Amino acid sequence: MSLNAFKTMAASAALIPALLAGTAFAAGDYGSFEDYTLRVKLIGGAQYEPLYAEISKWEEATGATVEILSRKNHFELDREIKQDIAAGTLDWCVGSNHTSFAPQYGNIYVDLRDHVSGDVLAGFVPLVLEHSTVNDRLVQLPRHSDVSNLFYIKSLYQDADNQSQFAAEYGYDLAPPETWQQVSDQAKFFANPPDFFGTQFVGKDEAITGRFYEMLVAEGGQLFNDGWEPTFNSEAGVRALTWFVDLYQAGAVPAGVPNYLWDDTGLGFASGTVAMNLDWGGWSAFFNDPENSKVAGDVGLTRAPKGSAGIRTGWSGSHTFSVTETCDNKEAAASFVSFLTDYDRQMVEARKGLLPTRTQVWDDAKAEFRADGNDFLVTVFETYQASMAEDAFTPPLIPEWIEVSNVLWPQLQAAMIGDKSAKEALDEAAADARIVMEDAGYL
Amino acid sequence: MNRALKNQIKAAGLWLATFVVMVIMCVPGLWVVLSGFRPNREILAKPPIWIPQDLTLSNFAKIFGFGAEQVAIPVLSYFGNSMVIAITSTLIALSIGMAGGYAFARFRFRFKNSVFLGLMLFRAVPGIALSLPVFMLWSWLGIIDTQLGLIIVYVSLNVPFTIWLIDGFFRQIPISLSEAAQVDGCTRWQAFWKIEFPLARSGVAAAGVFAFLTSWNEFALASQLTRSTDSKTLPVGLMDFTAQFTIDWAGMCAMAVIIIVPALVLTFLVQKHLISGLTFGGVKG
Amino acid sequence: MIETARGRAVGPAPPLRRRGPDLIRYIRTHQTRLTPVLLLAPAILTMLFVVAMPLAFSLWTSLTPYRLTRPETIETFIGLRNYIRLFQDEDFWAAFGRTILFLAIALNVEFLLGLCIALLINKITWGQRMLRTIMMFPMMFSPILVGFQFKFIFNDNIGILNNALQSLGITDQAIAWLVDGRLAMFSIIFAEVWMSTSVFAILLLAGLFAMPRDPIEAARVDGCNPWQVFRHITLPFLMPFAFIAMTIRSLDVARAYDIVAVMTDGGPAGRTELLWTMIARTGYENARMGQANAMAYISTILSIAFTYYFFTKLVAARRYMGGAE
Repeated sequence: MSLNAFKTMAASAALIPALLAGTAFAAGDYGSFEDYTLRVKLIGGAQYEPLYAEISKWEEATGATVEILSRKNHFELDREIKQDIAAGTLDWCVGSNHTSFAPQYGNIYVDLRDHVSGDVLAGFVPLVLEHSTVNDRLVQLPRHSDVSNLFYIKSLYQDADNQSQFAAEYGYDLAPPETWQQVSDQAKFFANPPDFFGTQFVGKDEAITGRFYEMLVAEGGQLFNDGWEPTFNSEAGVRALTWFVDLYQAGAVPAGVPNYLWDDTGLGFASGTVAMNLDWGGWSAFFNDPENSKVAGDVGLTRAPKGSAGIRTGWSGSHTFSVTETCDNKEAAASFVSFLTDYDRQMVEARKGLLPTRTQVWDDAKAEFRADGNDFLVTVFETYQASMAEDAFTPPLIPEWIEVSNVLWPQLQAAMIGDKSAKEALDEAAADARIVMEDAGYL
Repeated sequence: MNRALKNQIKAAGLWLATFVVMVIMCVPGLWVVLSGFRPNREILAKPPIWIPQDLTLSNFAKIFGFGAEQVAIPVLSYFGNSMVIAITSTLIALSIGMAGGYAFARFRFRFKNSVFLGLMLFRAVPGIALSLPVFMLWSWLGIIDTQLGLIIVYVSLNVPFTIWLIDGFFRQIPISLSEAAQVDGCTRWQAFWKIEFPLARSGVAAAGVFAFLTSWNEFALASQLTRSTDSKTLPVGLMDFTAQFTIDWAGMCAMAVIIIVPALVLTFLVQKHLISGLTFGGVKG
Repeated sequence: MIETARGRAVGPAPPLRRRGPDLIRYIRTHQTRLTPVLLLAPAILTMLFVVAMPLAFSLWTSLTPYRLTRPETIETFIGLRNYIRLFQDEDFWAAFGRTILFLAIALNVEFLLGLCIALLINKITWGQRMLRTIMMFPMMFSPILVGFQFKFIFNDNIGILNNALQSLGITDQAIAWLVDGRLAMFSIIFAEVWMSTSVFAILLLAGLFAMPRDPIEAARVDGCNPWQVFRHITLPFLMPFAFIAMTIRSLDVARAYDIVAVMTDGGPAGRTELLWTMIARTGYENARMGQANAMAYISTILSIAFTYYFFTKLVAARRYMGGAE
């Protein structure tokens, strides 16, 4: 999110201190750790930082000091943690984590069920806690969740010419899409390269793997069978990949998508040159902010469409906090992560458009938006709450996820740019993925 | 039209042509500098806004945390770290390089060529190949995330080239000068500082600029070996503008300006020495 | 005790034979012989400490199935298995070939452009100091910044380059600079060339400054045209400088990794995959450090070969010049 988006959000959140002053903050809740210094590594970046401004409250309540050792984006942090494991320098207590990354780190993090009371855990959305569990161990407490839904430009769908032409061409009425087939039709209908595109998608790294994976599930396929054999080169897999290839080759998406990451798709939709955009909830405020976005006020949102198997796409992950096994004061660390994910803290994040992980916060945040007359954010929260509760699924929670992704995404790109057919590409990726799984001892 | 005037016009034309070529070459860089003074929505607009309409210092204000809209980027400590690390490592590399260069230029010893080539080839090892082993070694020594850790690495990056330049330079200086001084009662050490070093100053300056720029701009190893404000340098600080889903390009450009200006000033100041230093340094002998 | 041009055979120095019991007397009598050793010791020790020791460590890990996230795997010895795997891996050799292609094109283009710029600036008599500083402007950019800069410039939809081309009416297409098979490679080479041409220009300019005027004047009097003067006098004189620049550049070509990692990260479909991006992904993302270090070893050998090649060229060119002077 750009600083400008941040600016407006910060302005709208200027009331936070006043609101918090009203809530009772019982000093004893988080224990007392006088003169203890808690060493932490946190994910950095504009949308994550407002939460860290709250840390001083925990310090006041407990008498401890928090030392932030590093604050980096998640990929950098991942590398740093792996180096720490390698060099045996896990001399810190709390680290930012992510449900997709967590399985890689083995047993360096504690099972939080031993350190956080059941009452506290009961406040979280059950499905999200399940996603935070690796090998039956709750290695992380979710801070906010992410799942994608479909943003679109409303006026395009209201335009009478578009409606009549579309109906004539495709034989059904133009409306926000319910299925991915409809997305494909409409994208081709709206596309007018190089000035305007029907939709877009991220095209490299774990991002495209994740998008392909959710489409595979929506088409009724699976990455692996029960015996951990790669099965994504099935017919469902070919259908899923063909959806991307077809749009790319039809010119309905920008020609640069194989090199796109999240910032490209977000900025692209905000530039008003894309009709539909499947994206994360965190972008909502940005898209509807006139300072940053040409489509502000004209943004529609619909739940992620269904694939041919009748399943909605719902690749999901949560940003989380973990406590290391090597921590010298696990009690303080557990208190700190409970604090960062408690009700008040989640409300702070929710007001910025981030998706909470506590059931209560979903409802209260919506009520607050409604009271403020912010209908757009009410819609956003309703849509995302539904998909977090019903559609969300994670990638397989195995340490090899990133490695499998790294053999898969270059092949997805190869099919997209026409070097290989979808079937060939997936067969090759499956063969490589098999080797990864064999090496890891699954097969 | 007289001939002198004609020549002057010709010279002016040539100057202008060269200037234009230089400017074209600099366009991608100038775009970055300009973007540092523009808001994101203007830089990344489509259709593009060619003539800046909204020049602002707000990107810089945000970096320094004025307006308190976000947690400030600790740019002052990055700047301090970069300065300390780049200057210290340059000075150390120059001393080591002068000693080594002098040895190559003035002494005859076995395996001289092999040693020289060996030093160069060590430098050719790609940083990515060194990053993990150096990290392990440094963490074992406890110098991860310290200025010292990075200084040691940068010294070794700069020593080979420094030796090369300075070696070439000392060869230029007739040994008879130093010998004459020694006849007059100087020790070899005094002769070096009074006679040879002043003559070699340009070479040292040129090597110094290259060493400084290398250390100032290095990213790959610094991103591995630094972690907090104790040692993070400016190029590593650029990554503070990237998050999982977004890049704040305007902020990054503003930070780029902060990185570029000191390097540019230094280069301008030592321009004169730079060219003459390189002229004699590398080749003749 | 003056040494002549390096590269000429050094006469055999008397070997250090006697390591006698009387150490002090030995040092006294052989003071001059020990001095260079002492002078060179800091340089050699630094390089051994920062480069040789880590390389020895990574050589060991390349013989193990070492995974970053499982430290105990460093103790399993698997011989040359990582290397054997690499030799059978087509993708690896494709990246290897692409890296050589990348280096060959980039270095040659940098040389040619640098030469043009140096020749232009050399003609200037007024305001040269400023022009030289402008010329070195790209050298002030950190490679990571260059990567981001060109990622934005080459963006197909909102990038400044496509916008410029479309505004000028040169094309009505959104050219996918970072995706198209040839253009993607072109784009990363362009970024690399932009960053490093200055190094060539400044070194070649130094060469032009050092050039004696007499032979050029003589050739002019003999009726040579400017091209002939350039071809037969200026260029041969400049070649050693060109090889120095090549050698210096080949010492740290691997910093192009920062650029490529940001711009394309080897994609799409491996079209811009270079050894360095492959190593970083295997080592850190996949956490397979053993395998990555085996690749790193092969890429180290490649870098050393490039440097060695230019260095021998340089020595030969120097010898040629030494004869001409």
